[in-house]
Amino acid sequence: MRLRARFGGKMIAAVLILLISAGVVSSLVFIQGMVLAKDFYIVGVSPGAPLIFDQRFHLVQVDPSQSGVALKSGQIDVYVTGKAAFYRADDRSQHAAGAIKKYLEKKEIARIADQYPLNQAFPLRVEVNYLKAPTENMSAAAVTLADIVRVGQEADTPANSPTVNGGNPMEDENPLAGQPPAAYVPSESDELVKQQLEVSLSSRLVPEFKAEFASNKQLIVPSLMSPPIPLAQVLLAFAYILPIFFISIFFTSGFIEEKLGRKLNILLSAPVTPLQIILGKMLPYVGYSLIIVVLITLIFHGDLLLALAIFLPVILFIFAIYLGVALQYRTYRDQTFFSLVAVTVITGYLVFPAMFVGINDLSYVSPLTLAVQMFRGESFTVLQYMLAAVPMLLVFLLAITVGTRVFNEEYLMNFKPLHVKIREAIYLAMDKRHLAASAAVFSLLFIPVVFMFELAAITLSLNLPTPIALGFLIFTCVAIEETAKSVTVAVTIERGLVKTWARVILLAVVSAVFFFLGEKVLLFMSLSVISESVFTNAVFAGNLLWIPLLLHCVCTTIVCLITWRFGIKSYPLALLAGSIVHGLYNLSVIGVLR
Amino acid sequence: MVLRELKALRKEKTIMFAILIQLFIASFSSVILLGIMVYYDPDSIGQNAQLRLDVGVLGDTQSQFTNLLEQRHHRVRVFSDAAKAETAFKAGRLDAIVYIPEDSKDVVEMKLVLPEMDAQATLVLMLLKEPLEKYENYLREQQGLIVRYQDIKGKPFSTNEFLYTIIIPILMFFPAFIAGSMVIDSISEEMENKTLETLLSAPVSINQITGAKIAASVVVGALQCIAWIILLGLNGFSVQNAWIILILSMLVIAIVALLALLVSLVFRDRERSQFIYSLVILVLFSLTYFVNPSPFALVARLATGDPFVGAGQLLVYVIMLGALVAVTPFITKRLTRV
Repeated sequence: MRLRARFGGKMIAAVLILLISAGVVSSLVFIQGMVLAKDFYIVGVSPGAPLIFDQRFHLVQVDPSQSGVALKSGQIDVYVTGKAAFYRADDRSQHAAGAIKKYLEKKEIARIADQYPLNQAFPLRVEVNYLKAPTENMSAAAVTLADIVRVGQEADTPANSPTVNGGNPMEDENPLAGQPPAAYVPSESDELVKQQLEVSLSSRLVPEFKAEFASNKQLIVPSLMSPPIPLAQVLLAFAYILPIFFISIFFTSGFIEEKLGRKLNILLSAPVTPLQIILGKMLPYVGYSLIIVVLITLIFHGDLLLALAIFLPVILFIFAIYLGVALQYRTYRDQTFFSLVAVTVITGYLVFPAMFVGINDLSYVSPLTLAVQMFRGESFTVLQYMLAAVPMLLVFLLAITVGTRVFNEEYLMNFKPLHVKIREAIYLAMDKRHLAASAAVFSLLFIPVVFMFELAAITLSLNLPTPIALGFLIFTCVAIEETAKSVTVAVTIERGLVKTWARVILLAVVSAVFFFLGEKVLLFMSLSVISESVFTNAVFAGNLLWIPLLLHCVCTTIVCLITWRFGIKSYPLALLAGSIVHGLYNLSVIGVLR
Repeated sequence: MVLRELKALRKEKTIMFAILIQLFIASFSSVILLGIMVYYDPDSIGQNAQLRLDVGVLGDTQSQFTNLLEQRHHRVRVFSDAAKAETAFKAGRLDAIVYIPEDSKDVVEMKLVLPEMDAQATLVLMLLKEPLEKYENYLREQQGLIVRYQDIKGKPFSTNEFLYTIIIPILMFFPAFIAGSMVIDSISEEMENKTLETLLSAPVSINQITGAKIAASVVVGALQCIAWIILLGLNGFSVQNAWIILILSMLVIAIVALLALLVSLVFRDRERSQFIYSLVILVLFSLTYFVNPSPFALVARLATGDPFVGAGQLLVYVIMLGALVAVTPFITKRLTRV
C-alpha cells in the first residue's frame, strides 16, 4: 500500500522505462561479453599471428621490421608473431605478456583439441583422491592409500605390501578401484575430458558454481583445470542480500516518515505495546524478504527449507540494524548515509569471511558460506549453523530489546548527537533495579556487535602497511572491547545510579566476566568448528584462562573508576587508559613487547 | 554562495561517512584482490611465501614429473611402499602423494592424493597446477605435438587488471555518485522545509542557488579523488596522467550533479528522487559501456599510461557538460516557477 502511495502515476512510467532500459542494456552487455576495459593492453601483431578476439587487447598491425622500435618506444606492450611473443621488462609490458599468454594458451588448447585425437591432445589425466586428515582415527579410515593407488593390499597389513606396480591389476574385489592404469580404456576418461573441454572452452563468461577445485575421485586435466572463483559467494550475496536491503530501506523510510508525520504519537497513545508496534511494522517487510528468498532459491534450484533456515537470521539481522537506524535518526540525509554505512558493514561482515570458503574455516562465521555449501549439495553441522546464526539472532534480540524500551515520544523525537542518544538508549533499556544483571546481559548482547566491528576493523586494516596494520588492529579491537564492556557501567555512573566505588567495581567486574564468558563460548564454538580438538584443548588448558579474565576485569575497572572519579566527560580518556593497558598486554602476548 | 554550501557540507557528518564508505570499498576490494591472488596467481603466493610442498611419489619414480616438481623447489620423496607413504602422509610429513603408473602408453593416468582438509587441499592443488601442466606439455611433445607460446613468462596480470580496470575507476567515479545523492538531499530538503522559497525571496536567483550547490559538490568530489590518487601512490600503485583523470572525474561529477538536480526538481520528494536518480545513473553508466573508450576504460587506460588516450578524449565530456549547463537554467526556471 505504501509502495502504491509513493509510486503512482508518472512515477510508475518512469520506473518502468528505466527498468526496461536497464534490462535491455544488461542483456546487450551480456551478449557482447563483459569486458570492463576495452583496449587495455596494446598488442602488436605480425601478419602471421593467430587471430585475437578479446576486447581487452588493442590490436595494432606491426611489420616485423618495425616491431623492435615499436616495442621499445612503448607504442605497443607486447608483440605477437605466429611462433612467439616479445615484451619489455617493465610492469606494463609484463602484465600485458601475462594476459596474452593466458589468452594464447587457451587458443592453443582449442587448436590442439581440434587437430589431434583426444589421447594425444590431453595425454595426462589426474584422478584426485582425498585421504582422511591426520587427526582422524586411523583404524577407522575406510579408504586407504593402497586402495587408491590400486596396490590391492589391506590397509591393516602394511608389513608385506609389495612394491607398487600399476601395471599389474591385482584384486578385483576392491570396489573403490578404478581401471588398472596400464589397461587404458579410452571411452571412459575420454568422455570426461570431452566434457571438461567443452566447459573450459565455452564458459568464459559465466564461472562455474563451485567453490573447490575438485571433488573426490574427480578426473582433472591439468590444462583444462580452472581454479574455483570466489565470485560464487559474491554473486550469492548480491542475489540474496541486495533485495533484502531494498526492502529494509523501505521499512526504514516508512518508519521515519511516520516519525516525522507524528503518526507514531497516535500509535503510542493507543493500547498497544511498543513491541507490537515494532513487530507490526517489521513483519510485513520480513514477509516480503522471505518471499524473495524463496523465489531466488527456486530460481537457483536450492533447498528451500535450508535456504529459509540460513537466510531468516540474515533477514532479522539486517532489519535489526535498520531498526536501529530508524530509531536514532530523524532526517532523511542522516538516514541515507547511515544506511550506506550499514550496507557496507553488513556486506563486509557477510562477504568477507565467505571469500575464504575452502581456504579458511573461519568462513563459517558468514551464513553465505552455508549457502554456498547448500548449493554445492554438501551438508554442514548444527554447530556450524549456530556459529553463523547465533550472532545475528543476538543482534536482532539486542535491537528489539533496546527498541521497545526507548519507544517513547521524547526519545524518538529529540535531536541529539549520536553518542548521547546511544547512552540514553542504554539507560532506557536497562533495568534500574537490577544493575548488575543489566550489565551482564548487555555485555553478552554486545559481543556480536563487537565481533562485527572488529571484522570491519580487519577489513580496514588491509589498507595499511603490515606493521602499522597490526598496531592499528590491536588497538582498535581493544578499544572496541573496552567500550562494549564499560559503556553500561558508564551510563549508570552518568545517571547517578551508583553511589560507592565498591558498587562501581562490582558492576565493572560483572560486566567484564560476562563479556569474557560470552566471548569464550563464541570462540569455543568457532574453534570447534575450525578444528576438531587440537585448538580447543590448547585454549581451555589449565590456567591460561585466568590471566585474560583478570585482565578484562582490571581494564574495565580502570575505565569505570576513572569515569566515576572524574565524571562522564572523562570517559573517552578513561577508555584510552583502559585500552592502553589491554593493548600493551596483547602486544606482550604476541611477543612484540618483552 | 559556494562557500555557504561548503560550510553546510562541512557541518554535515555525512561527508565523513561518504569517505568512510570509500575507504570500505577500497578495503573490500583488497579482500577481493586477496581472494583473486589466492585463487588465480598461486604463483605469486608461492614466490612470495616460498611455499614448498613435500610430495610423495609412488610408481614410476623416474618420471619427468619428479624433475618438474624439483624444478619448482618442491621436495620429492620416493616411496616403494604405499603403506609407508600413507604413514608419512598421515603423520603430516607429506602434503600430497602422486602415483604415476609405469609403462603407460599414450595416456598417463596419474592419481593424486590430497589431505581431506578443504583448505590445505586447495592450496596444494594450486601449487601443483604448474608442474602438472608442464608435465602434460612434456608428454605432448613426446608425441610430437608442439604447444606454442609456452615460453612467454610475463607477470600475473589479474590483480593488476582488477585494480586498474575496476577499483581505480570505481574510486574515481564514486565521488560523483555521492555528489549527486547529496545534491538531491540538499534540494529536496530545502523544498520540503520550504527554505527554498525563503532563499528565493532573497536577491539571489534559483540558478545561483543550484549552481552553488553543484560547485560545492564538485569541489568535495575533487578533493576525494585527489586523496585517492595520493593514497594509491603511497601504497605503491602509480597513477599516470593523474591531472587528466582528475579533470575527467570533475567533469563527470558536474554532469551527474546536474542530472541529480533535474531529477530532484522533477520529482521533488526525496525518496522518489533518490530512487529514480540511482536508476538513471545505473542505466547511464551501463550505456557508457558501449562507448569506446567508456569512462571506466578511459580511466583505466589513462592510469596505466596508454599512449593512445589523452586529454583529447575529455572533449566529449566537456561538450556534454556544456550542453547540460546551457539547458539546465531553462528547465530549473520552468520547474520552480510554480
